[in-house]
Amino acid sequence: MSHVLGPNGPAPDAVGTAERSPAPGGSGGSSPRASTVSLQWRSSRHARRLLTLGLAALFVATVARRPEFAGLAAPALLLLAAGRSQPRPPRISLGTRPSTRRAFEGELVAIDLVIAGQGGCSVRWTLHPGREIEIAGPAGATTADGPQARFTFSPQRWGRREIGTVDVVLRDRWRLAEGHLTVNLPTLDCYPAPAQQRTQVVLSRLRNRLGEHAARTSGEGIEFAGVREYVPGDRQRSINWPASTRRGRLQVNTFAAERSQDVVLLVDGTSDVGEPGSSAIDLALRGAAAAAGAYLDARDRVGVISYHWGAVGWLVPGLGRRQVYRIIDSMLASERGAAGPAQGTSMRRLPRAALPPGALVVVFSPLLDQRFVETLRDMRERGFTMLVVDVLNADPPVRPRSTDRMARRIWRMEQEAIRFSLRELGVPVVHWDGVQSLDLPLARYTRRPLVASGSRR
Amino acid sequence: MTRSIAIRAAAGLLGAGCVVWSAAPLVHKGLANLALVLAICGVAGGTLRLLLAGVPVPEDSFLLSTPLQAWLRFLETLRRVPWEEGAVLAIVWLEVLHSSRPWHTAVLGAALVAYLLATHLAESDASPGVLRPQVRVLAVGAALLALGAGAGMLPAAGPGAGSALLRLVAAGALIAAAALVLPYVASRE
Repeated sequence: MSHVLGPNGPAPDAVGTAERSPAPGGSGGSSPRASTVSLQWRSSRHARRLLTLGLAALFVATVARRPEFAGLAAPALLLLAAGRSQPRPPRISLGTRPSTRRAFEGELVAIDLVIAGQGGCSVRWTLHPGREIEIAGPAGATTADGPQARFTFSPQRWGRREIGTVDVVLRDRWRLAEGHLTVNLPTLDCYPAPAQQRTQVVLSRLRNRLGEHAARTSGEGIEFAGVREYVPGDRQRSINWPASTRRGRLQVNTFAAERSQDVVLLVDGTSDVGEPGSSAIDLALRGAAAAAGAYLDARDRVGVISYHWGAVGWLVPGLGRRQVYRIIDSMLASERGAAGPAQGTSMRRLPRAALPPGALVVVFSPLLDQRFVETLRDMRERGFTMLVVDVLNADPPVRPRSTDRMARRIWRMEQEAIRFSLRELGVPVVHWDGVQSLDLPLARYTRRPLVASGSRR
Repeated sequence: MTRSIAIRAAAGLLGAGCVVWSAAPLVHKGLANLALVLAICGVAGGTLRLLLAGVPVPEDSFLLSTPLQAWLRFLETLRRVPWEEGAVLAIVWLEVLHSSRPWHTAVLGAALVAYLLATHLAESDASPGVLRPQVRVLAVGAALLALGAGAGMLPAAGPGAGSALLRLVAAGALIAAAALVLPYVASRE
């Protein structure tokens, strides 16, 4: 009978008792999270084989009246009898400590396992990795011996991932009895690996808030805007002496004001098409994570809206590096369908804080859901400046039949029509394949400010 | 890696040697052919199980192709069947079919214990050093094995009054062994 120990104590189907000892530092801290579990021992396969040999030989010796078979049984039975006295601990203490509870796709994570109270028994660990968990380290080893073990792995796809289970086998010194234990390892929040994006799309009309983007109005920035005549009150150090000498009057340099913008990332999670790992949602999440990092680096306020079948989850635009993680957490929570206070709101009923007027809306979508496309048109008519990053990289499967080929052509034409209609409304649509940097498809819009339409909201 | 391969090979060779040792010379009575086939299958299956022990099995097999599913089914069967137990029973049966040859049986007993120990080392991927604590018991067992062979050569061990006494002793040993072993096994089930 094997035991199952969950990350928060014994699972309901666990046999025996488990007690949690204090875990200083908690998960990911300096000390492993330890639990005490009861073990029930059973005979090993080796013991069963020896028993078979001993009993068979004794039986033959008795029935066939051949004493040499009694001698044949002797070593096996002696081993079994002598092995009974080996100490086998009824309880052990088991600790697990992952190096982190949050990681990006492909990032190396280690988990330390420690056992105590096993006495002289040998310990063997066998890791069974969960879905989308790839074992790293030397030769992808999934087994280890000794009271301490460390397994290194990397999550391959975003989401809440179960690291897997570990089978622990304790063997007594004579290896005639085994104690089995199955431990469910803790879960790991895997973030989508952000794509590469260094440039930002900047609106032509920026809010009157300090930032790093050069605005059209003059101000106290560092980007040169022009030269004008000196008026009393101007700083003496801004006098442009060459221009003053040429014109015979004092001229001063003017600089562009530096402002920030509100950016709202709109992630369409309705359609997940394509190969797992490079599907539309994968690309949308990675692109949104990259955009969040790029705009937050430029001191913009960034928020996110996750769209799912007409309902949305949202996060108010904010500043700082922590906002990146809040945004990714919000997107992952929406993907999991975790109901929060901001979950389930209709797109039309979003508060102004979630979708501020004058904000730049960057949309990541495969544009397959007609209702979402209608939502984009509606937002455009309400005056939002939008940019759509098309993350559709898959075609419908087609069989070698003329009707299938025809259907595929019609589908492609419909997709082109959707994109064309959005462009006609003034919504740029760029295609991103998920491999190259996001800067490349966005280059046309990052070189000069994106003309912001007046908000009619 | 080299050590584990060597131990697996040693287990297979010891098993094959036990089959040959118990079967030679071939007899044609008491379903000897069936016993020989069973012994060969048991040793071959056990060796194959040891060789394929490291092959991983995916948890989900619903979307796999039919050949892959058949392969996984084969692996599952291979790992579930107690090949070594079957091989031991068949080998003992083969040896019984021969007329009394005590020293031959003693050598077979030593080879069988070595086969089982090698199999255990191979399947648990342990070094032979883990058997060091058992050396004394194995030495005593070898001595008893030799005593048994010697007893088999005594004239009293043939049919007659002496053999009846031997049967009683053997039965007593069986009961004693069962008394020692059964609580040990029962406590684990």
